[in-house]
Amino acid sequence: MKVKVNDVELDLAPGTSAIDAVFAAGYDVPYFCSQEYMSPIGACRMCLAVVGAPRKERDGSWTMDEATGQPKIFYFPNPMATCTTAIMEGMVIDTLSDVTKKAQGGMMEMHLINHPLDCPTCDKGGACELQDRAYEYGSGHSRFIFDKRHNEKHHALSELITLDRERCIHCKRCVRYFEEVPGDEVLDFIERGGHTFIGTVEEGLPSNFSGNITDICPVGALLDTTSRFRGRNWEYDHTRSTSLDDASGSAITIDARTGRIERIKAALNTQVNKNWIDDGTRFGHEYAASSDRIKTPMLRKNGKLEPVTWEEATLFISEKLKKLSDNQLGIALRSDATLEEGVAAKSLAEYLKTGQIDHYPRYASSVISANPASFNDLATAGAIFVMADATEEVPMVDLRIKDALKGVTPPTLMAHGVPIADLRLKERMPRKTNILSVAAPYRVDLMKYAAHSMVYPTGTEVEVLKQIIDASTDAGKALKESLSAAEKAVIVLGAFVLNSAEASKLADDLAKATGAKVMKLGAMANSFGLESQDVLPAKADYSYPNMLSGSAKALIVSGLNPAQNAEVAQALLKLELLVVHDLFENETTALAHVVLPAKSGYEKEGTVVNLEGRYLNVNPAPVDGGQAVDFTGFVKELGDALNERLEGRSVRSARRLLKKSLELDLSELPLEGTIASAKAGKVAGLKTNTSGNALLVPSMVRSEYLNRNAHLFASTGGNALRLHPADAASHNLSAHDVISVSVGGFKRRLSVQPSESVPEGMMLLPALPDQPVGLVQLDLNSIKKEQVALEVA
Amino acid sequence: MSVFEIAKGMGVTLGHLFKKPVTVTYPEQPVDVKPRFRGRHHLLRHPDTNLEKCIGCSLCAAACPAYAIYVEAAENDPNNPTSAGERYASIYEINMLRCIFCGFCEEACPTGAIVLGHEFELADFKYQDFVYGKPDMLVGTKGSKWQRREAEKKGKDVKIGLKSGPRPELEGVDY
Ligand code: SF4
Ligand code: SF4
Ligand code: SF4
Ligand code: FES
Repeated sequence: MKVKVNDVELDLAPGTSAIDAVFAAGYDVPYFCSQEYMSPIGACRMCLAVVGAPRKERDGSWTMDEATGQPKIFYFPNPMATCTTAIMEGMVIDTLSDVTKKAQGGMMEMHLINHPLDCPTCDKGGACELQDRAYEYGSGHSRFIFDKRHNEKHHALSELITLDRERCIHCKRCVRYFEEVPGDEVLDFIERGGHTFIGTVEEGLPSNFSGNITDICPVGALLDTTSRFRGRNWEYDHTRSTSLDDASGSAITIDARTGRIERIKAALNTQVNKNWIDDGTRFGHEYAASSDRIKTPMLRKNGKLEPVTWEEATLFISEKLKKLSDNQLGIALRSDATLEEGVAAKSLAEYLKTGQIDHYPRYASSVISANPASFNDLATAGAIFVMADATEEVPMVDLRIKDALKGVTPPTLMAHGVPIADLRLKERMPRKTNILSVAAPYRVDLMKYAAHSMVYPTGTEVEVLKQIIDASTDAGKALKESLSAAEKAVIVLGAFVLNSAEASKLADDLAKATGAKVMKLGAMANSFGLESQDVLPAKADYSYPNMLSGSAKALIVSGLNPAQNAEVAQALLKLELLVVHDLFENETTALAHVVLPAKSGYEKEGTVVNLEGRYLNVNPAPVDGGQAVDFTGFVKELGDALNERLEGRSVRSARRLLKKSLELDLSELPLEGTIASAKAGKVAGLKTNTSGNALLVPSMVRSEYLNRNAHLFASTGGNALRLHPADAASHNLSAHDVISVSVGGFKRRLSVQPSESVPEGMMLLPALPDQPVGLVQLDLNSIKKEQVALEVA
Repeated sequence: MSVFEIAKGMGVTLGHLFKKPVTVTYPEQPVDVKPRFRGRHHLLRHPDTNLEKCIGCSLCAAACPAYAIYVEAAENDPNNPTSAGERYASIYEINMLRCIFCGFCEEACPTGAIVLGHEFELADFKYQDFVYGKPDMLVGTKGSKWQRREAEKKGKDVKIGLKSGPRPELEGVDY
């Protein structure tokens, strides 16, 4: 469809909005209410332009202009909001005329009438759309001499988000966001006209994706409380990286100042997270700036850990290592270690001739699917079967499933990127809940959006899958049929299925039988990558749990804290060498001979592979980590002590190795990442508990760091023990009680949250890296109330 | 060149011989600086409420061509505010060794909180001592860090080698 923007002629797809035509032509109009991936509604009236189009006669020919002999352009009587105007054949858009300029300038003035202009104290200042647009399109002086509207300046919408009601320009982005993107209608306009304000009905913002509104608010009305007043926008170092919070590989921008992370924002990856991230990823960064980080290597001297140099620490380790014979050393990485760290660990294991190497937490079966689904497959699927708590395991999966429910395919990119106003999107679109089936051992969040949901008894995944494959129940039959009938079907498998080799085998069979693609939710950010690089034990007896129970004489653990388990702690005491590479002192460092400072996921350089098999770069933010190094750094230091130039001694050296095996240059990955095929690794069977009275469940906020994330802690109330109200009553527990309890040998501190969504007879608590998803025995007799819930009068 | 012109020239020289000299025996005697002289910074307060004017916006730091200013902000306690805004500067530092006394900070400040005064005797011994914090610059503080240290040691009042008063822009600074 041919359109003309000022002097540029374009040929665009029908259905494109006029605002996108303007941007595609390289011109600019100001706008506040349109937002990529959301419906255009024409609320702010900033994007005005003079628009006209030719008309057709009855016979289908163009009405001609006598004077020029060209089709006559009929202009709209007033400037049009280009975001809600679809282009027409022969349309003419004029963004440079005086009429346009005057209209835009007038609207700008109207927007500023009630805006407090407190930019110097506003956290958005310097990165504010209103500021920028006022500078570009405003008149520069104010004619408004009256009192401005006054309203609440710091209203806590939730523990995580602060609302300044004076600054709001009523663009409605936040309101639309909640309804359109996560589908939680938690925010709305209240009152009308000049009295309009944003508010919630319920307390707080009950949504897992609330933080995104702080990114899209065009002014400083909605602000991230964790970064409130921490620095001005131009003072931050912005680092685009990949989140290591979960297996989605969501793009983030890390904003750091004077060596401290102050804020995490969503970055754009059109193939993965679009513009959005979940609250766990956004607000769960405070631990990295915690003052009790380990900053120097420490060596145990006379029973006490003392700070030493890297040389002294690695010399001590190398002396000890020399005394070991083959296969006596165990090396364990946490599953969010980068590929480069994995390669370094493997090369170290090879040099020291040990087959005892593992990453943890991982599942009893592979997370690499033979027919993997990408996020775009998921977002365009015609039938989706989720057997997971997807929202908590990989929240982005939840969000992309909701794209599929809307039934609008991801937009095609234009010359200027993602279309600003996608006219296919509407407010309050009907959702095709029918295509979504969810099964989990308790009521999960996604069930609210699914037409078919099933809560099955914990541990019966195999039976459930059998029912579907054999079509032995009506529901099972219907599901199987819908998966086979859909043009594109996706099966999402989470920890509950992957934890059982038999269940995952059945799920793969179901996928094969129905032609569905499979998305397997890895336990952590790089579960896929570490498995594909074979950071796995040489034989089943050498797996991480076995290392802890005696197969290893010496142990190097990175990011794991096995001594939380009292029994394991006893076994660790017998080790000849225990090296712990971690961020904080914990139960295991208390036993360690050597403690080494580790980098957090925001400081590392490396590569991770997300659950689609997409290679994504992790870039280091300038954070003060003292002498912290990642595992490649440790391998270098140890190599120096051993007088050996080990492979994987740096990110570069690891990438050189990976380039050979992957045929992929990891230092030149595109921002969107690259999908490469991968083969499932030989995951040596891990034993999983098949009985217990409590279920460890995945959690969006990282439970191991929750007590160092002050704001997230306040908003979640700490790690929760969820149980049915009837059970709570019978165990004499009430809401908000804080208890300490022994769970499978781990001492856990939990706050009690009775909830109807938990089946009777089952208790749910968040998993830890060292206590991954699965059944566990909670010792009811060991419950100690630390803090009894305060009665609210 | 005529004798007359030589005599005229000598006349000027001799004339000055009998004028009052312009030199001052600084540091024994205080000196006068020009009204628009830019010396050490002052952080001002609102004279009526005594609240700090600085709201910790960091615009001065952004404007500073020498990167001499470091600001860290914090939220005001509504019951006991430090500044008149929502936010105040919890840390406000100027490195006097970096500062080129250009006055851009003063120009950038939206609240008129930072103003360059007339004090100029900033010499000191250690690098650390050139980093001036809030207590060194808030109104009511007289003299450089070194001068105040000296005065404290001797138990005397701070003596500065400045005759003229502060700049007229300096609300609340009187000496
Ligand atoms: S709070 Fe922000 S996003 Fe929401 S309507 Fe107001 S200006 Fe728009
Ligand atoms: S006077 Fe100039 S150089 Fe000195 S602090 Fe102010 S802006 Fe910086
Ligand atoms: S002195 Fe002025 S410009 Fe500097 S932080 Fe304070 S209020 Fe802002
Ligand atoms: S009316 Fe707001 S962008 Fe068009």
